[in-house]
Amino acid sequence: MKLIKAFKHALNMVRHSKLRSWLTIIGIVIGVASVVSIMSIGAGLEQDITSRLSGMGADLSTITPGFSKASGFSHRMPSGGGSAGGATATDEEVVLDRTDVQVLKSIPEILLINTEIKGSAEVYYLGKRGAVTLTGVDQKVWAQITTLEIRDGRILGPADQNVIVIGGRLADDYFEKPLGINKMITIEGGSFRVVGILDDRSTNIYMPIQMAYQVLDDKETDIYDSIIIKIKDEGEVDYVTEKVEQKLMMTRHVTEKDKDFTISSSKQMEEMRSEMVSSLTTFLTAIAAVALLVGAVGIANTMFTSVLEKTKEIGIMKALGARNKDILAIFLLNAFLIGLIGGIIGVILGYLLSGILPALMGGGGITGRVASAGSLVTIESVLLSLSVAVGIGTLSGAVPAYQASKLKPVDALRYE
Amino acid sequence: MGRTLIELTDLWKIYQMGEVEFAALKGVNLEIDKGEFVAVIGPSGSGKSTMMNLIGCLDLPSRGVIRLDTEDISKLGESDLAQIRGKKIGFIFQQFNLIPTLSVLENVMLPLEFQEVATSVAQQRGLYLLEMVGLNDRVHHLPSQLSGGERQRVAIARSLAVDPDIILADEPTGNLDSKTGKYILDFLNGLHTNEGKTIIIVTHDLNLVKYAEKVVHIKDGEIEKVEYT
Ligand SMILES: Nc1ncnc2c1ncn2[C@@H]1O[C@H](COP(=O)(O)OP(=O)(O)OP(=O)(O)O)[C@@H](O)[C@H]1O
Ligand SMILES: [Mg+2]
Repeated sequence: MKLIKAFKHALNMVRHSKLRSWLTIIGIVIGVASVVSIMSIGAGLEQDITSRLSGMGADLSTITPGFSKASGFSHRMPSGGGSAGGATATDEEVVLDRTDVQVLKSIPEILLINTEIKGSAEVYYLGKRGAVTLTGVDQKVWAQITTLEIRDGRILGPADQNVIVIGGRLADDYFEKPLGINKMITIEGGSFRVVGILDDRSTNIYMPIQMAYQVLDDKETDIYDSIIIKIKDEGEVDYVTEKVEQKLMMTRHVTEKDKDFTISSSKQMEEMRSEMVSSLTTFLTAIAAVALLVGAVGIANTMFTSVLEKTKEIGIMKALGARNKDILAIFLLNAFLIGLIGGIIGVILGYLLSGILPALMGGGGITGRVASAGSLVTIESVLLSLSVAVGIGTLSGAVPAYQASKLKPVDALRYE
Repeated sequence: MGRTLIELTDLWKIYQMGEVEFAALKGVNLEIDKGEFVAVIGPSGSGKSTMMNLIGCLDLPSRGVIRLDTEDISKLGESDLAQIRGKKIGFIFQQFNLIPTLSVLENVMLPLEFQEVATSVAQQRGLYLLEMVGLNDRVHHLPSQLSGGERQRVAIARSLAVDPDIILADEPTGNLDSKTGKYILDFLNGLHTNEGKTIIIVTHDLNLVKYAEKVVHIKDGEIEKVEYT
């Protein structure tokens, strides 16, 4: 029998057991759709991260005192340390100070150095009090180094003193009335003027570091919570980060083992995040693959049933001159078709879902990230799921089809 | 008469049913010439269908030799047997055995598809045969839309699709009234006299036996006698 005829009979079989075929197809559709949509959303997230990576901030590295496993990379703390603040269990408190800044200044590849301190401060405006995060920044370089974006007003400049830049939510919703540009706000008793509002949803306050030392009275002058460096050549981030690490270890008299500071580039951080996303995607894809497997079992089940149901027809065909391979071809193609139809519908559905799902997932956290990243349907994921669907369909049809082809003509004809 | 087309020599068919063996055919010897019209009669369970299945290459004997056109087919593999069935033998069954999901015409064309005959040729042949059995106005119907007699006429057309030498009909009229049965037998007789086909039918109806030139009586798996009319 010619293949095209076998194909016609296979198609005929699909058409004439509509309900069962469709139920089987649905199984494959669900599997393929979930694989495609999860892979697409994952690809979207990864692409989003990559694009952020190549945008602003990839040339920045942050140095913080203390060393914790969580923020470190492959190094380990020998003893218990690793609290969020990063202070180690040594007698002396571990800090970053001017000496460290001097060391950094001696490295020619570094373009800018921003020193920061961070703490909680009480704010008061129009009868409402609250505690917000206050960051003191080196206003002489902050404008060139920050990745934050200004919505209204301006960023801090070198000559600024009693002025602040505030987060979008602090400006809009935090107090009874919006806190606009040039409004005065009381922070820990001192009076500050708002000069800029950030384009974000935070309640953070940024002010010149010298002022912050006065406001946050547990902070000691010239002791920094973090030092952020901007590297001249973005391509040298890894190299410079390594170099800074070596130099600081030398001047601070520590080794890999008892290292008391952490340096991380935003590039590394994004890479880590990207790794996390891809392992999350892999995990979800694995779950989706299980759905696909269930679909495959469905095909096998349907095929066994239809071989049983068509036993007599198989006998008739054999009496009419069908060879074993003709019967095999018809049933294999039937399974192939179910896989193909399920695969195609699944890809289309997965494509639609990957468009719709991110839009439905507003809010913060990872879902928010998904929402803003959108999805990316890759040719790979489409081809992969299609070939997996067809492959699985044909494979799970193989055993029943083989069984059908091996039926003895008399026995098959006698079957009722 | 003519030359021997089918030759059964000491043919045994033994069914194994668990511990028990049952011999459905016990050393049958029979020769059928090319162009003969043979009727096989005998009580139920005597082994008529068993013998037909062996002649039709649907089953293999436990012992003995079957020659078709002098070729020993009793030891052939399934795909060779399929070739012989597809080219030399046309089957007509008591239950018609049409494929319910195929149209009348597609049913008739099916044996030609297994022989990889071009679709246009197969279609022409199918239409010609359906006209012969008087069903040219039913070609696109499904079998379920036909009466029993009409279905059997489709089955006859199908059995003639590849223009086989031998037509095997196991109780072809068993499910039909006597008038329709007579029509079917007249038709088969026409094939016998006009086209020289070798026809073997199994029947219980003694009215139909008179068409045959040779009547084979089977009882308990053995040939009791062979009558010539
Ligand atoms: N597959 C089988 N397994 C076991 N026994 C079988 C099998 N096929 C047939 N038989 C037995 O062989 C004997 C002959 O069967 P066969 O079908 O040839 O009878 P028959 O002459 O065609 O009868 P009928 O006129 O009722 O159709 C019966 O007793 C039957 O029970
Ligand atoms: Mg019988």
